[in-house]
Amino acid sequence: MDAFFASVEQMDFPDLRGKPVAVGGNRERGVVAAASYEARKFGVKSAMSSKIAALKCPSLIFVKPRFERYKVLSVQIRDIFFAYTDLVEPLSLDEAFLDVTENKFNLPSATLIAKEIRARIKAEIGLNASAGISYNKFLAKVASDINKPNGQAVITPRQATEFLEKLEIERFFGIGKVTSEKMKKLGIHNGLDLKQYSLDFLTRRFGKSGLHYYNIVRGIHESPVNPHRDRKSLSVENTFEKDIHLETELDQVRSDLLDELFRRIEKNKVQGRTLTLKLKYKDFTQQTRSKTLNRFLTQEDIRVLSKELIYQESLKMPIRLMGLGLSNFDQEEEKAGIQLVFERFFEDSTDQSNED
Amino acid sequence: MKFIVSSSSLLKHLSSINGVVTTNPVVPILENFLFEIKDSKLTVTASDLQTSMITEIDVEAKEDGNIAVPAKILIETLKNLPEQPVTFSIDKETYSIEISSDNGRYKLAGENATDFPKIPVVTNATTVDMSTEVLSNAINNTIFATSNDELRPAMTGVYVNLSDTNVTFVATDGHRLIRYRRVDIASPEAASIIIPRKALNLLKATLPSENVPIAVDFNNSNAYFRFSNIKMICRLIDERFPDYENVIPLDNNNDMTIDRMEFLSSLRRIAIYANKTTHQVRLKLTGSELQISAEDLDFSNEANERLSCEHEGEDIEIGFNAKFLVEMLNNINAKEITLKFSAPNRAGLILPSDMKENEDILMLVMPVMLSNYV
Repeated sequence: MDAFFASVEQMDFPDLRGKPVAVGGNRERGVVAAASYEARKFGVKSAMSSKIAALKCPSLIFVKPRFERYKVLSVQIRDIFFAYTDLVEPLSLDEAFLDVTENKFNLPSATLIAKEIRARIKAEIGLNASAGISYNKFLAKVASDINKPNGQAVITPRQATEFLEKLEIERFFGIGKVTSEKMKKLGIHNGLDLKQYSLDFLTRRFGKSGLHYYNIVRGIHESPVNPHRDRKSLSVENTFEKDIHLETELDQVRSDLLDELFRRIEKNKVQGRTLTLKLKYKDFTQQTRSKTLNRFLTQEDIRVLSKELIYQESLKMPIRLMGLGLSNFDQEEEKAGIQLVFERFFEDSTDQSNED
Repeated sequence: MKFIVSSSSLLKHLSSINGVVTTNPVVPILENFLFEIKDSKLTVTASDLQTSMITEIDVEAKEDGNIAVPAKILIETLKNLPEQPVTFSIDKETYSIEISSDNGRYKLAGENATDFPKIPVVTNATTVDMSTEVLSNAINNTIFATSNDELRPAMTGVYVNLSDTNVTFVATDGHRLIRYRRVDIASPEAASIIIPRKALNLLKATLPSENVPIAVDFNNSNAYFRFSNIKMICRLIDERFPDYENVIPLDNNNDMTIDRMEFLSSLRRIAIYANKTTHQVRLKLTGSELQISAEDLDFSNEANERLSCEHEGEDIEIGFNAKFLVEMLNNINAKEITLKFSAPNRAGLILPSDMKENEDILMLVMPVMLSNYV
């Protein structure tokens, strides 16, 4: 979907159409979650602080997000996808990978399917969508950016090499701001620059991701479209009305976050070994602190550890956002080699105090 | 204030309580020994607030007095002095301490003894008498199975259940459990306490090699150990210990009896080839043959051995953490042991084939889930 949240708002509220709209927090605090194309012309981008966005575009209209509404539409869009194939891997509320090698209508061309899907989204829901078509997930995602908004593009195997060589490094899917900065320091500005480096060099510089970068610039991405992608972490966060200065104040808002986290853990039925505390400072720099136990954390553990993490080191400056996340889940394939624990050993002593 | 004491005798006494002193204590004065002289008797106290140890030594002193002496620098000094009488002179105003020996003079800054935290007194105590041998056996048999998990403090100590017929020591980390019972000691009153690992480790290091009587006084919050010329007082862990009796299986009817040393040596060799994080070894019982194997897929390492054993029950394949098994077998004092299983995902029991008089030991270990690629 193109500027999904913003487009939904413009669709639902005709007054907003043709105007620069930012979905997100208010003008003073908060962050832009999505910007309409009219707003993007002013340089407003998602994840930008509302304050800066307002400076860039004084006529910017801030709209509160309505996630429930977006979710409903997201499901409707996904249903359209499923009409063509069961191999749908959601990437976010408004994006998904579709493997249409074999599709339910036996259509011979992916381009044709993309056209149909986009037309149905427009007709049945009323939103513009863009599509990218290629022979792997990475290239399809890159292709989807080419003719945005409301367009589609194909990268054929023949075109891939040349296209990737010319592609600016920050437009590679999976290379974010931090990595692209690092690469630029190494003189890597586009795909061709990246291609000059050996696999050995890239793995030494970027660890595991090195191999990934080495492959994608050559158009290689073997990851299949996985309709059951397992959740790897679960987190909740809260941007405060006013910056928080003291650990004791963080400690007070912690219980609300914990309630939300526990609710999500219950709902998703996950168990994790790692708890991460995320702090975003006044200047938008971010810090994470985490603790891992060699067993699954109970609610009581999470309570205790979250407190410890808050006090682990002193705050550098006022805090605008705090988040808590659980990760390091029990993956089915990792179950072998797991040291078992005595059953019902801890229930009475540690798991009782989760209602307060 | 002034006193004279033998350098080696003082060092010996200080060394026996020095383990309590931590390098970075909550209260800085705890980096000191508290010296208290009364009627030519020097009482030295070391403490970390949770655990305190006290020892007494005769000295030559004309007057009474107290001072806190930096532990590390004093021990170092005494270690490096040849045996001789040394004189301590303390300035009551500045708390400065001067040690003079045949070799020379050493000056160090002491602290006001009144700043040293007060050591708790155990009131309304129940007293149990035992011997250092019994206590040291109990500690050695259990302490290795305590947990490091600070979020579950109950398991970071050894649970001691006292009754009028026996005393039971239990340690567990949730994966394995040791129950060590003595029927030759008893308590006038039934009680349960959890003694922290640090205190037990200190006792283990300090208990004399010859067997002497030891008196243990305890109430709800503290335990007090008295033996030879040493006293130790420790704060108890005030937590509920897991309901351990419930996890001891009663229906493990698949029995394997095997020579302990043979089994242990084999496990030690096989463990070298096991995965470095799980230490997983596979025990495969087919009739009276035990096959022990391990593999580390990351390094393409693998090993297997075959041993003969006595076996009663169905053939079974079960995985364990080799480190746990090795530790447990190391701590059993018997020629043969019996392993009792029920299923690859249920706790296994390890028992010595013949028990020593007055003691009863039971070890329990949870398996590691086996993968099925072999």
